[in-house]
Amino acid sequence: MAIPTSRIRNFCIVAHIDHGKSTLADRLLELTHTVEARAMRAQYLDRMELERERGITIKAQAVRLLHDGYELNLIDTPGHVDFTYEVSRSLAACEGAILLVDAAQGLEAQTLANYHLARDAGLVIIPVLNKIDLPAAEPARRREELAALVGEPPERVLAVSAKTGEGVEELVRAVIDRIPAPEGHADAPLRALIFDSAFDPYRGVITYLRVREGTLPSYARIRMLATGVASDAEEVGVMAPEATPVEALGPGEVGYLVTGLKDVHLAKVGDTITLDGSTVEPLPGYREPKPMVWCGLFPAEGGDYPALREALDRLRLSDAALVYEPEVSQALGFGFRVGFLGLLHMEIVRERLEREFGLELIATAPNVEFHVERAGRAIVVRNPAEFPPGGDHGRVEEPVVFATIITPSTFLGAVLDLCQERRGELVDMTYLTPERVEVHYVLPLAEIVFDFFDQLKSRTRGYASLDYEPWGYQEADLVRVDVLLHGEPVDAFSSVVHRERAYRYGRQMTERLKELIPRQLFDVAVQAAIGSRIIARETIKAKRKDVLAKCYGGDITRKRKLLETQKRGKERLRRVGKVDVPQEAFIEALRVDRKGRPA
Amino acid sequence: MIAVGLYVHVPFCRTRCGYCDFNAYAGLDDLAPRYVRALAAEASLVAPAWGDARFTTVFVGGGTPTTLPPTSLERLLAELRAILPIDDDAEVTIEANPETVDEGSLGRLRAAGYRRLSLGAQSFDRVVLARLERGHDPDAVGRAVRAARRAGFDNVNLDLIYGVDGEGLASWRETLRATIALGPEHVSAYALTIEPATPLGRQVADGLRPAPDPDVQADMYEQACELLGAAGYRHYEVSNWARPGFECRHNLGYWRRHPYLGLGAGAHSARGPARWWNLRPPRAYLASVEAGSPPVGGAEELTSEQIELEERFLRLRTREGVAPDGLDPAVVDGLVDAGLLERAPAGLIPTERGLLLVNELVLALVPQRPRAPATAG
Repeated sequence: MAIPTSRIRNFCIVAHIDHGKSTLADRLLELTHTVEARAMRAQYLDRMELERERGITIKAQAVRLLHDGYELNLIDTPGHVDFTYEVSRSLAACEGAILLVDAAQGLEAQTLANYHLARDAGLVIIPVLNKIDLPAAEPARRREELAALVGEPPERVLAVSAKTGEGVEELVRAVIDRIPAPEGHADAPLRALIFDSAFDPYRGVITYLRVREGTLPSYARIRMLATGVASDAEEVGVMAPEATPVEALGPGEVGYLVTGLKDVHLAKVGDTITLDGSTVEPLPGYREPKPMVWCGLFPAEGGDYPALREALDRLRLSDAALVYEPEVSQALGFGFRVGFLGLLHMEIVRERLEREFGLELIATAPNVEFHVERAGRAIVVRNPAEFPPGGDHGRVEEPVVFATIITPSTFLGAVLDLCQERRGELVDMTYLTPERVEVHYVLPLAEIVFDFFDQLKSRTRGYASLDYEPWGYQEADLVRVDVLLHGEPVDAFSSVVHRERAYRYGRQMTERLKELIPRQLFDVAVQAAIGSRIIARETIKAKRKDVLAKCYGGDITRKRKLLETQKRGKERLRRVGKVDVPQEAFIEALRVDRKGRPA
Repeated sequence: MIAVGLYVHVPFCRTRCGYCDFNAYAGLDDLAPRYVRALAAEASLVAPAWGDARFTTVFVGGGTPTTLPPTSLERLLAELRAILPIDDDAEVTIEANPETVDEGSLGRLRAAGYRRLSLGAQSFDRVVLARLERGHDPDAVGRAVRAARRAGFDNVNLDLIYGVDGEGLASWRETLRATIALGPEHVSAYALTIEPATPLGRQVADGLRPAPDPDVQADMYEQACELLGAAGYRHYEVSNWARPGFECRHNLGYWRRHPYLGLGAGAHSARGPARWWNLRPPRAYLASVEAGSPPVGGAEELTSEQIELEERFLRLRTREGVAPDGLDPAVVDGLVDAGLLERAPAGLIPTERGLLLVNELVLALVPQRPRAPATAG
């Protein structure tokens, strides 16, 4: 191998979204001549179309930079709270991390949470201020803040402009000087950590991995320790930044492996790869992906059910965290209850189903997974419609998260109010500077899934940031609120909420449905109920007039065409008991967005 | 011989009203002489295709036909009678606006063979007339009716519009009372409909004026049913009331799906499954007729499914009833229970409430293909 282990540096960039991680990566690609200027395009590494549009990196990638006889492996980390576990595995593939902070905006919760992850993983941290070219930058203050956080003197904090390239050369120097070389014997039995896994329609499952010890040659027979699956792997290679095959990857090296597998569930993030036949201990830290948020997905056209199943089956090949089971709804017909890592993951999956597979979907409101005691047995509830109605249950537990919120101190009151309203439990509070506070809360995940983030943003004018990690289960006083149309429960609208919030939720849902459901030929009661107890009611008054006033000669043809259109529209109505409900009313009533949902 | 209705369209008006989306134009009066000649020419062009027909009704509508001078209207009817087999006792209606007629002109029309006069009264409330941009005041309606009586018209209709922005139930009640007091044989009362492609439609879309409240219009409709019914008018179609024997035979022909021939710009014709319509712009219509070719702007042939739909929605507009055969009995029971349909020897008949919900009745009663799952399983 051309480059000895002592000249390898594996590092990642920890940054908040919009703090310039992708732009800095672009500058590193240029400075090290990994991508020539004329081939450069903005945010080079964010490959997937979806990522580029959202400005979020979903798939971690590793790119090899060669500089001054050093091999620098930049391992990209996912930038969203849904993917905390994936972040931790990317960090585990590194010896060091660049902690990149926007000189104008300062530390954000997500950066902080990932910084703690990196520090706990034993990484060397290089604190860096970005965007020092911006007029609003406050480098002096941010330098203090950053230095205090990492416990280093302020002069060790680097300052760059990823946009202009200023300071980037010094940063590369610091990566070489400060971050230690990896360790590991080339002759030891192979142990390589999978930190990302992707599905390529032509080549099957491709894993991104970091060799801890031993050597991974091309075309080896390999085995995954967690899944126990063996496979005849194909090439190994490095991203430079395009895929470039190599003969083998040695200790400390980072690259990709074409596994020969056809299903990402067999080569999961965090698993250890070894050569088939060798007996080794798995690398620490593997975890099964666990869905945190569930929702029902139904085709808007009932006939699309097989297409939806096929689409999910295909997405699953490339998304190890996606789980689903068939679900039947009285109101929405045949569909699936789908589990996601979080809300972003949910949105991405929905968008891919609609965009890549051309499906029109109705999604129920997302919910968490409850543990319910009933008749002495513990049951797991992933669908509110399966939650025991009317308080007919024993102990109920819901998932909680450990939330980190960073806010300007002027909004501290608003943040504390919000967290208290949302059944939060204050853990502690630290002033990072006199102007900025870090607050820790234990919060029900259900509250986060509802609209917590939007509320946090609106109440702090966008200044507060949030990160969270799963924190187990906790007892809660929850009830199922049902919505009835003309006396018929609509399963798709059932929701599990805290008892104290049930009345408000019921009132908001009934008011909203009153607006969304067109008038019928009879008065329609819209009710919210806990078990058999009605807690809110609205009435959709019967329609009285629906007729064309004049209908002579030419009006007749026009009217017939209108009726033909109306007739087709009626065929798309869902029927709940006697009540016709348009698709759009379901979509609107169930929408989770910035404004739409009752809050 | 088949009985056919003849419709003749006169697309001229003195002014255009903001709510109206008919094929009508103000300021094209200089085309009028050519247009009247073209109507006769068109009749000659199409007459051979109607050799097996006898025309039992004639309806000269618009527009405002009485913007044409009486001489033109006299000649028009005479020429049509010469070209087409119009029954001697045909019902011949002409539409007029109150401000365009007087005893002299009405006398000439009556003498020329126009037997039924339909006056665009619209309202007896000045404010409502102003909002409708009508050019007459309430007194003009009474004057026109009295002039018509003196001229010998014994079959007069008044057209009314209700639900105009600012018109309350009290105003509408007054309009109904004033209408009844004038003793017309026939009353047409139309709920104001906002048509998107009109000045009013754009104002409503822009939020400059409110859209009519359908519940208020329903209240007004019920008032009309009550007052006109009490005054001896029979409610025989959604928007039409008549003293017994004075139902408009021409319009009944539309709802009974009898064939009709339309002459003039934009006029529609129907025969069997065929539907066709003339070019709408008067100049395009004139150019075509003057070149000797039928001025057809479009045509279609109805499928049996479309015919069935048309039959149902037209019959349900009247009290003539539809046969219950082939309808889902549960749906029928539901509509009867809801007070929208009643069972009668003639079949199922919409109630007065049902007439105001004809669209719903039609959609509920037309056999549909199975819809999205009501119950999954």
